[in-house]
Amino acid sequence: MSEDSRPRRVELFVTCVVDNLFPETGEAALRILRALGAEVSFNPAQTCCGQPAFNTGYWNDAKPLARRFLEQYDGTTPVVMPSGSCAAMARHYYRQLFEDDPVNRRRADLLAPHIYELTEYVVEQWGTDALSSLSDLDVPTAKVAFHESCHAKRELGIDSQPKALLDSLSQYERVDLYQSEVCCGFGGTFSVKYPDISGAMLSDKLDAIEATGADVVTACDSSCLMHIRGGLQKRGSAVRAAHIADLVADYIPSPSMGESLPRTPIRGLG
Amino acid sequence: MSDREAFLQSIRGALGRQDSGLTSDAPTSAGPPDQLEERARRASEIASRDADNLFDVLSNVAAGAGWNVAHVPDARAAGEYVLKLAQDLEARSAVYSLHPVVQAAIGEADFDTAGITTIPVALDRDDPDSDEDADRARLRSIMEAADLGVTGVDYAIAETGTCVIIPRRGVSRLVSLLPPVHVAIVERGQALPSLDELFTLRRDDFIRGDFGSYMNLITGPSRTADIEYTIVTGVHGPGEVHMVLVG
Amino acid sequence: MEPKTKRFKAGSAAALADERIQANLAGLYSGFHSARISAASATSGWEELRERGRRIKAHVIENLDYYLDLLARNVEKAGGRVFFARDADEASNYVIGVAKSRNIDLVIKSKSMLSEEMGLNDRLESEGIEPVETDLGEYIVQLAGDTPFHIIAPAIHKSRGEVSDLFAQKLGSPAYDDIEDLTREARRQLRGKFMTAGMGVTGANFLVAETGTVTLVTNEGNGRMCTSMPKVHVAIAGMEKVVPSIEDLALFLRLLIRSATGQMVSSYVTAVTGPRKQDEEDGPEEFHLVIVDNGRSRILADPDLRESLYCLRCGACLNACPVYRKVGGHAYGWVYPGPIGAVVSPMLTGLSDGKDLPYASTLCGACKEACPVKIDIPRMLLYLRKELTEGDEKASSNLGERIAMKGWKAAASTDKTMRAANLLARLGAPIASKMPGPMSGWTDHREAPRAARPFRSRWQELKDQ
Repeated sequence: MSEDSRPRRVELFVTCVVDNLFPETGEAALRILRALGAEVSFNPAQTCCGQPAFNTGYWNDAKPLARRFLEQYDGTTPVVMPSGSCAAMARHYYRQLFEDDPVNRRRADLLAPHIYELTEYVVEQWGTDALSSLSDLDVPTAKVAFHESCHAKRELGIDSQPKALLDSLSQYERVDLYQSEVCCGFGGTFSVKYPDISGAMLSDKLDAIEATGADVVTACDSSCLMHIRGGLQKRGSAVRAAHIADLVADYIPSPSMGESLPRTPIRGLG
Repeated sequence: MSDREAFLQSIRGALGRQDSGLTSDAPTSAGPPDQLEERARRASEIASRDADNLFDVLSNVAAGAGWNVAHVPDARAAGEYVLKLAQDLEARSAVYSLHPVVQAAIGEADFDTAGITTIPVALDRDDPDSDEDADRARLRSIMEAADLGVTGVDYAIAETGTCVIIPRRGVSRLVSLLPPVHVAIVERGQALPSLDELFTLRRDDFIRGDFGSYMNLITGPSRTADIEYTIVTGVHGPGEVHMVLVG
Repeated sequence: MEPKTKRFKAGSAAALADERIQANLAGLYSGFHSARISAASATSGWEELRERGRRIKAHVIENLDYYLDLLARNVEKAGGRVFFARDADEASNYVIGVAKSRNIDLVIKSKSMLSEEMGLNDRLESEGIEPVETDLGEYIVQLAGDTPFHIIAPAIHKSRGEVSDLFAQKLGSPAYDDIEDLTREARRQLRGKFMTAGMGVTGANFLVAETGTVTLVTNEGNGRMCTSMPKVHVAIAGMEKVVPSIEDLALFLRLLIRSATGQMVSSYVTAVTGPRKQDEEDGPEEFHLVIVDNGRSRILADPDLRESLYCLRCGACLNACPVYRKVGGHAYGWVYPGPIGAVVSPMLTGLSDGKDLPYASTLCGACKEACPVKIDIPRMLLYLRKELTEGDEKASSNLGERIAMKGWKAAASTDKTMRAANLLARLGAPIASKMPGPMSGWTDHREAPRAARPFRSRWQELKDQ
């Protein structure tokens, strides 16, 4: 894509989890998008895509939230979110939610092609060079294990993009994670309804992460990472968990400070 | 309304329909039904035209699927292979089906001198007084006691390393099942590229009224992994299988 | 089989606590699951095969009455008899009736999930007829008075030591350390049964409408025995098992077998068309096909669930499912475990009893990815959750959770009230390091996150930077 035809304007949908629990990941996403040259809007009326209610069976409760989402975006500007799960909800599951509601179903269909998970948007629309050229560090400073969050991988087909992004930053050495594509056991209400099954799944995930010798585990979704981080902390592991946006943003010079070296501790790890 | 009609009616009800009959043409996995004859002709043609290549592929894939594969020039050599195997197994008796290639192979080798009894498995249909059930039971005991079963095949499948046996007069279902060792003799030109050609030819057989009641696809030894995922061969069928390619 | 779908929580807790079961389940990933992936990538045009398989299944299910009628007529043309059974009892009664009419007291059986649905073994026993399972795994399960743990590997929860003890106790055989010796023992025991049984009962992997053919996929050879040795062969099949043409078998055998075990083809594929013909050497004198509904038309009647009838019963979704790989087959409480079981078991046995099952999934999508006919299991689980929450079955759902969701919706409906503590409490996620009551399970395994100053309130500063 030529420089000029790149869509400069994007809407940042931070997701309710990032908004309330991991706002620094929202800032990281903002920083990345701006570093690429995008003009970022944040609609302060945004709340939640409705996925927690939808996934638990409360479709009547999910619908107003989904309608609210559909009304906030006009279908001309990319809507970028630091979550594969929320993007999958907006891109795919609104169609199921509004199966019997032709008006909103059509809105969902029209908006679907404009919904992006963050790394998908960055790599597909801007490529990886734009970010890697911003940093002059070329010595690996952290080993990174990448956990493939389920909805990003299987609902959105996101596979190479986040890995390409990490691999383009020479500061990170990506290590192989056994069963990286296997669910961490979070599943939203699943981890509440079945905490022990979820805990057993998490335990396997943590074993695999620790076996890599990685300094940090990353993923495209804050909710998986919240689960994984909670487990790592519980077992007193030295491995940190950070959203991929946090890792990438740490190597982007801040516009105000002209900073080009990573701060310590790595954003989102502390 | 018959029970059957009531059953089918309830299915129509569940589907929200009243009338029987297809709502759309069947999506075909092979090709249009009206081109079946042409497909069948092509399948036979490939089998003879590509016979050498198909034998090569078959022999590789079959070996991977657990067959002991041998390639011999003619029926005589096949007979020698079977005799040598029987001797190695210290076999006392071998049963065989009446595929012509098997009869030729068994006939060419000197089993008698080796002290190995060979028994064809076929009911005695010439004696009007014979009791078919008793005859069948007798043959079954012989097969159960045999050390070796030798059959021909109707087809072999290169894609999967499979022998296909269609039972009929002189071709029992059990020669390839009851003895602990099975030898399948495959003739040049019998190998098909894939499962697709097999089922095309069988559909053509069916349309022409030549189908039989049974068909077995046999690929390697009988096996199980039901205890601790550990593969063990020879559960109920033969634990050792040989594929002898002739020609 | 008596449904125990209510007991998912207890059943899963028992499996989690059993080290042997956990070790055996862990083997599914490196075993069947990885083998399936290898076999699929070794098959040219695998994705297209899945697509075609799905289209054919969809067509058959939409025209099921037509194909069942065609099938029945062709089975009869081949000299077989066909019985349509509305439920398990009708099906069992028919099998018993055939056995009694021939004074049969020993029935050999080849693995059939439908037979488990019907509870056929118990029914036969109560009529004084001895049923003997002949698939090694099923034989072990039957001797142990147990139920299958996995669709294609019924006894995978048992160790060799347990099998050895079981054989010693039930068969009087010596103790064996070696799996090969255990298998030989089963072979010896079952040979005698094969030689003398009057009836063979099998399931069916595919029913070919055009030719009236029952197709069986096996590895051990017991399916061949059951269809060749006894004088009577009865095949029992769920009504969804039809395919139109014998040419479709090439496609469906590839899809089924490669997805089930990762073999390119199983040791045996057996195609049965009626009883033995006049000039054939052996085979049964009588052939019966019993086509069974047993709740399937309820699924058929719901367009949102209809595609669950495309299932080939390959077990790939079980092997792919990280929840199944923790809780195993017994927790699901009925014949069909794992992701597909979480859809069909509640539908076949009653949704209110099985209400825990649609929630026994993280919706990770691994099942849909593995399915050879691309059944969208996550979509159906979501649909069932909705039905349990808002549909006719809602009376049975969790009232506390319903109230929490309403409150959460209210909170998230306006950006002003959307605050961390409120949101998280509504979501059910903990915000203290140790939560009381129903949330304590969560913090047993994980530390909880801490609320922060929301992004939205930082936006004023961020937007002009």
